[in-house]
Amino acid sequence: MAREIEFREALREAMSEEMRADPRVYLIGEEVADYNGAYKVSKGMLEEFGPRRIIDTPISESGFAGLGIGSTMLGLRPIVEFMSWSFSLVAADQILNNAPKMLYMSGGQFGCPIVFRGNDGAGGQLGSTHSWCVESLYANVPGLKMIIPSNPHDAKGLLKSAIRDDNPVFCLESERLLSVKGDVPEGDYVVPIGEAVIHREGTDCTLVGFGRTVYFCEQAADELAREGISCEILDMRSIRPLDLDAIIRSVKKTNYCVVVDQSWSFASIGSEVAAEVHAACFDDLDNHVHRVHNDDVPAPYSHDLEQEMLPNARKICEAVRSVTYNA
Amino acid sequence: MPIDITMPRLSDTMETGTIVKWHVAAGDAVSAGDVIADVETDKATMEMQCYDDGTMVSIVVNEGSPVEVGTVVAVMAEEDEDVGDATSRPAAPATAPVPTQEPASVEAAPAAPAVEPEIIDDGSEDVESKPVESAPVEPHLTMRGHVRISSVARRIADEHGVDLASLAGSGPMGRIVKRDVLAAIGITKETAAAVPPGAGLSPVSPVSPSISNLPTTPVDSSSTSMPIKASDIPTPSGYGLQPWSEPLSGMRQTIARRLVESKTTIPHYQVSMVFDMDPMVQMRTQLNEQLVKHQVKLSMNDLVVRCCALAMYTNPLMNASWGGDCINYHGDVNIGVAISLPPERGGGLVVATIRNADKKSLRVINQESKELSKKARTKGLTIDEMADSTFTVSNLGMFGIDNFTAIINPPNSAILAVGAVQQKPVVRNGEVVVGHEMTATLSNDHRVVDGATAARYLSSLKELIENPGMALV
Amino acid sequence: MSTTETANHVVENTVPVPDPEVLKSWLRDMLQIREFEVRSMQAYQNKLAGGFLHVYNGQEAVAVGCIAAMRHTDPVITAYRDHGHALARGLDPKIGFAELFGRIDGCAKGKGGSMHFFDRNNSMFGGHGIVGAQCPLGTGLAFATKYTDEVIKGGTSESVTACFLGDGALNQGSVHEAMNLAVIFDLPIVFCVENNRYAMGTAVGRCTASGNQITNRAIAFGMEARSIGGMDVIEVYREMKEIVDQVRATSKPYFVDIDTYRFKGHSMSDPRKYRTHEEEQEYEADDPIEKLTRYLLAQKAMTEEELKSLSKQVRLEIREAVNWARQSPVPDVSELHHDVYTDTWGDYTGTSLPGYMKPTTDEDATEGEASNGT
Repeated sequence: MAREIEFREALREAMSEEMRADPRVYLIGEEVADYNGAYKVSKGMLEEFGPRRIIDTPISESGFAGLGIGSTMLGLRPIVEFMSWSFSLVAADQILNNAPKMLYMSGGQFGCPIVFRGNDGAGGQLGSTHSWCVESLYANVPGLKMIIPSNPHDAKGLLKSAIRDDNPVFCLESERLLSVKGDVPEGDYVVPIGEAVIHREGTDCTLVGFGRTVYFCEQAADELAREGISCEILDMRSIRPLDLDAIIRSVKKTNYCVVVDQSWSFASIGSEVAAEVHAACFDDLDNHVHRVHNDDVPAPYSHDLEQEMLPNARKICEAVRSVTYNA
Repeated sequence: MPIDITMPRLSDTMETGTIVKWHVAAGDAVSAGDVIADVETDKATMEMQCYDDGTMVSIVVNEGSPVEVGTVVAVMAEEDEDVGDATSRPAAPATAPVPTQEPASVEAAPAAPAVEPEIIDDGSEDVESKPVESAPVEPHLTMRGHVRISSVARRIADEHGVDLASLAGSGPMGRIVKRDVLAAIGITKETAAAVPPGAGLSPVSPVSPSISNLPTTPVDSSSTSMPIKASDIPTPSGYGLQPWSEPLSGMRQTIARRLVESKTTIPHYQVSMVFDMDPMVQMRTQLNEQLVKHQVKLSMNDLVVRCCALAMYTNPLMNASWGGDCINYHGDVNIGVAISLPPERGGGLVVATIRNADKKSLRVINQESKELSKKARTKGLTIDEMADSTFTVSNLGMFGIDNFTAIINPPNSAILAVGAVQQKPVVRNGEVVVGHEMTATLSNDHRVVDGATAARYLSSLKELIENPGMALV
Repeated sequence: MSTTETANHVVENTVPVPDPEVLKSWLRDMLQIREFEVRSMQAYQNKLAGGFLHVYNGQEAVAVGCIAAMRHTDPVITAYRDHGHALARGLDPKIGFAELFGRIDGCAKGKGGSMHFFDRNNSMFGGHGIVGAQCPLGTGLAFATKYTDEVIKGGTSESVTACFLGDGALNQGSVHEAMNLAVIFDLPIVFCVENNRYAMGTAVGRCTASGNQITNRAIAFGMEARSIGGMDVIEVYREMKEIVDQVRATSKPYFVDIDTYRFKGHSMSDPRKYRTHEEEQEYEADDPIEKLTRYLLAQKAMTEEELKSLSKQVRLEIREAVNWARQSPVPDVSELHHDVYTDTWGDYTGTSLPGYMKPTTDEDATEGEASNGT
């Protein structure tokens, strides 16, 4: 039975259900316990699980990320919350050197079944140091998995998969999506990692979206439909592994591809998708893959400037018209 | 067991080392940890230590000689071993080689034409194209003179046998895109806009000598790629002419370029002959009477084509092509026939190939000529239908022309310009009578065909034309 | 026998000196470590091992003494100078050399190298290359044992984690974060600082503020701390036993400043220009192996012949280990995509334990195991 709940509630349900089922799972991060979560994702969890399993930390990302990773070496399954993925940069050594490489460096002796999660991307006038999109930085590293749900249903299902996965999983949420409501079934279900979904079917152009950008794609698709261009929107849901097959199927149908990535363009997820689509769909493309990104600038504070910087619907429409030779 | 002391690797980049000073000599007792020599490396002078207790047996490499890491430089006996047992050893066993760097990957060759043929691949295409010389680069062609076309458009065109030369590209820089191809095969999309005349027509690119590259006509009469409709030609109002400018179609551009190329690079010279056409006129009439109930009507040109083909047997040097550093003599005798196109088809000239004309009967030559001519004026010819001629016949007889010279159609080495069959006063047995005559002028490539060869060919041709029964066998 | 002075009070050490048989086993362990390191250096100079190599010569008493004070199931984690700890924990030297030579039979299948000696069955958690990074991991180990004992099993925390670091690591932020977390969360961890006076080539005084009293750093976090000598394995053991027992009982972290010295350079390409020959010789005179040897001989617990025979035995064992390791094959290229993820997807082929950890004969399981005092 479906019911509508917020994205943040979906995340909370995922964590709570997994924690009830498996005592090795615990949540650790800044303000996750007493404060009920800086963004209220973990609201009420302290009450249910107690301070031994919902753990407030000092402000030391490197320390508690490393603590989480160390505990996985003895079989625990922590969920480490970064208040913002922007703050993960100070923990980069732990999350990039220790988590994804532990299994390899130890020759298969120690895995790292950890989940790192937090808000990723522009949060709304938060300024340049608090608006990081880390996908293009971190997805490069072999050994980790990365998920980016765009709606409550996928948020719950993907986070459950992440907690159950024996590999380190980076879960990229968005402050702008936490209040979005959506249908979420009761009970246990998972969304597999590495599987995209067709958010909207279309015939004239493939839009490849990740997380928040799926909404920008929706807005753009509505406007383009009025011009007679029917867009197919893919919600990728996972970045690593990337469901390239889903993109290929769509591009074979439409012959045009626009990838919408909320990070900066140089050496990004968008460039990865473009490179892969060119290689896999060379004979099915009527034009090169177009990419829509943030402008290549630090995130500004001022509201209008920030809106302009984002991979917004207007930029997506321009890209679709251009790629389909309707400019 | 005696121990080999080898030149140690004292820094991670060290490849060779030189003993600067030995601190021990044969017979000295040594302990593990003792510094036994100073070694000069690529970075600094470092100490070389001994790893075992025992006695030095021999110094193998002296001070001052650089040796590779791993080379035996001295031998020692272990603690409880008799020094005399240790004999000088050969070079130390090979140590693990330092892994070499992966060779830098060879830079990929720039996108080569071998990846995609620039037009429908008929298998006879030679991929190496002539370098574009001083000709300006047209925007709808890539730097190498290839047609701009998207991958999916190319694929669809291949699948449906669409001739790309007939298409206008609506994409950037004249790129042919999917909707252009779909329009050509009759599938309209609501977003396709009408292509303005002359916009970005993509002609056939310069191609190797083995095929004729005169472009085909547009695919169908309704194609928007057609350059000029008859109704577009302004009619003069009353007396006088209206000035107007016709933008060149791709085909026109190509014809122009090819003709200039032919005329300026091939050393043309002409040899003419007058032929007595009475026997051929007679034979033709006879044959056509017999064939009328089979709806076959042989033309004079059919007979000429066959004779030209047969004449090659006794003049094989005429059936050749200039190859740059060689002359290629062809085994097949493929006669090209020039077909002029009406203005609504873009005007100009195309050459259709009657392959193996030497082996085909007059009826087959006739049939093929008719079909090719019709096709040229309607759908347009395929590359295959225009390729591989070894000799060309051009006939302006239907216009009453006495004689004319034609421009060689590369890669042929000669072209026969045939004038009208005319009634003329002729001398027979010392008397002036009325006879039929025809003048034919052979233009030749002097690099391949010298005067005597050309003359001999015309003589052979004369023999055949004036004894046309020979064309039947 | 000795008294120690902690930051807070003077305590009479009541840990007894172990039996001579135990001491002899420690001598064997230290000899094994020393010979392993000597032959590692030789192998490196003969190009059998590559990359970085950080040897432990001179510091053997620290690893052997500390680990002797712990249980076999207590987690041990250290930085990149890890051969001594791994061997003291019970890693078979054959497996160690195989790892150094980059062969498939190494503890990390040749994919880790000198800095990544892991040995799960012997509670050895690495082997880490980034300075200080092992400290947050160490807090994680301590957290996990406590969580498992108390939260999952509902009992009391039983284990103690020993997290080894160098004096140089004290300046890494992550180390401070780890110490802070250890105090805040009451983690049963001992930060064992192997203070060998040099952070690579930089003397403590040049880079570590109040480096002459590094226990200050721990005290600033409200953590108990003491300084001990590291060249006498008996002293190390007796001090550590006290500390480890206390930490096990109270589940409160401890910081130990262990005064020691590395006889060789930081790594293989270090010409040691930053210290004098005289200084080196002075400390080499304080060799922990010779110290214990003299003690055992003086106590008549051992004869010269026994000593010689023991040395020879260790030398032979190590030589055989080297030869064994040299026969081990280089990993197949398919290993590149193995052990990246636990599952199979894309080019990745899942994971499996190293060969030596799969169930085999008893011989493999017990060889080289360090014996503990308790």
